[in-house]
Amino acid sequence: MLGFLVGEALRDLRRAGRVAVSAIVLITLSLAALGGFWLVSSNLDRAVAQWRDRVRIVVYLRREPPAADVAALLERVRVIPGVAGAVFIGKADALRALKQLLGKDAGVVDQLPANPLPASLEVTPAAAAATPEGARDLLARLNALPEADEVAGSADWVEQLSHWQRLLTTIGLGVGAVLAIAAILTVTTATTLVLHARRHETEIMRLVGASEVTIRLPLLLQGMMQGLAGAVLALVALVVAHSLVAPRLEPLVNLTLGLSQLVFFTPVGVVALLAAGTLLGGLGGWLARAGREP
Amino acid sequence: MIEVHRVSKVYSVGPVKVPALREVSFRITKGEFVVLTGASGAGKTTLLRLLYRDDLPSEGDIAVLGYDLVPMRRSHVAALRRSIGVVFQDSKLLPVRTVYENVAFVLRVLGAPRREITERAFDALRVVGLSSRAQAYPAQLSQGEAQRAALARAIVRRPPLLLADEPTGNLDDAMAGEIVEALKDIGAGGTTIVLATHQARLARALRRRTLTLDGGRVVKDEG
Repeated sequence: MLGFLVGEALRDLRRAGRVAVSAIVLITLSLAALGGFWLVSSNLDRAVAQWRDRVRIVVYLRREPPAADVAALLERVRVIPGVAGAVFIGKADALRALKQLLGKDAGVVDQLPANPLPASLEVTPAAAAATPEGARDLLARLNALPEADEVAGSADWVEQLSHWQRLLTTIGLGVGAVLAIAAILTVTTATTLVLHARRHETEIMRLVGASEVTIRLPLLLQGMMQGLAGAVLALVALVVAHSLVAPRLEPLVNLTLGLSQLVFFTPVGVVALLAAGTLLGGLGGWLARAGREP
Repeated sequence: MIEVHRVSKVYSVGPVKVPALREVSFRITKGEFVVLTGASGAGKTTLLRLLYRDDLPSEGDIAVLGYDLVPMRRSHVAALRRSIGVVFQDSKLLPVRTVYENVAFVLRVLGAPRREITERAFDALRVVGLSSRAQAYPAQLSQGEAQRAALARAIVRRPPLLLADEPTGNLDDAMAGEIVEALKDIGAGGTTIVLATHQARLARALRRRTLTLDGGRVVKDEG
């Protein structure tokens, strides 16, 4: 029975001819657009996540606390809402880090009469505090510490990046949705033509007692085949585009966003794209209505 | 087998009501060969359509093969149709399929096993004397052959009831004779047959029970 249904679906697909080809092209375009924006968005998302992890707030202390008091100070800071972790950096540690940073010019530091660097606390904000509002609140709380001289750091620019990522996702969804609706309508048109072309078969099928499922399933299947074909083509286009564009863009995004490579879809993403195409086509096939009996 | 009780059918054409059947009643028992005759427009086709539940009566009750057709749910219509073979004046063969494929199509649609499909399709073609034309396309057949192919398609499921609506309407006497002989053979096998024809001569020649329709009424039930 399955062989019969698939055979009929393939026959229907051939009958739909150019309209089916148009539907496949539209599904390809809609999924390629959707997939393209999705790829850009997911890579930006990775950059945002990576930079969010790197956001640190530095609390410069008025004076270096005695070693015995450091643990208590850290404990007080760690219980402040919005703090995920805190590390004490003493004056000597700060100087050592500066020397490391200066490399061969580290000797300059030795010319200084005294260590000018303040002791500080490096605070890692919790995820909830890594928003502009959350970061502002956290900065205010840290500023209120009696030991704090100055507080530096903000998550604003990470949020800007996150904002762009969300905007791209929205645009991608919008463009994809418009093209997807056009694709569904085209599949529906193709299926309506198929319905007209196979009206004699449908009549005979009804006459001999075929169930509505048997009559309609080939229509649904041919729609799904159109959708799957469109999705495969879109996937191929995205693979080609990614393999051509990614190597050229990676040095730039590494420099600007700190991403060493632009990733492609995960296997789950590939399956989701193919499923989306199949679903689009199936929906178009299902929407075309056959005549009903009394 | 078939019970038609005070059945009327009225078609509405805009505000105009056109009666096609008026208070028709009759019974047909298992294995009978009944000829339904009358002039064009007498209501023969309407009556046959009601019997395979292609339409509903405006009034009255119809029972076919134990199914009560009027309150029948749409989902049960398919089950009824699986027990009825129907032949039309135009053969309604699918032009892009061979004779064999046309006959086998019915079994494939109903999910019969492949081996059974071949065996039964050739059996049906043998009954109507068309085995040698199995690979021909409908366009390559004479009208008589096309009608026999349609008959093979109608009986391939070995239905207990066969409805034939003017199957000889487009045929010359010789070809019509072939169809009638094939129908007689099928009837001899125990299939109940209702044959609608406007050809009074054919109806008389068959010498079977004949219901005569006129203006939507059964005016004669003889034989």
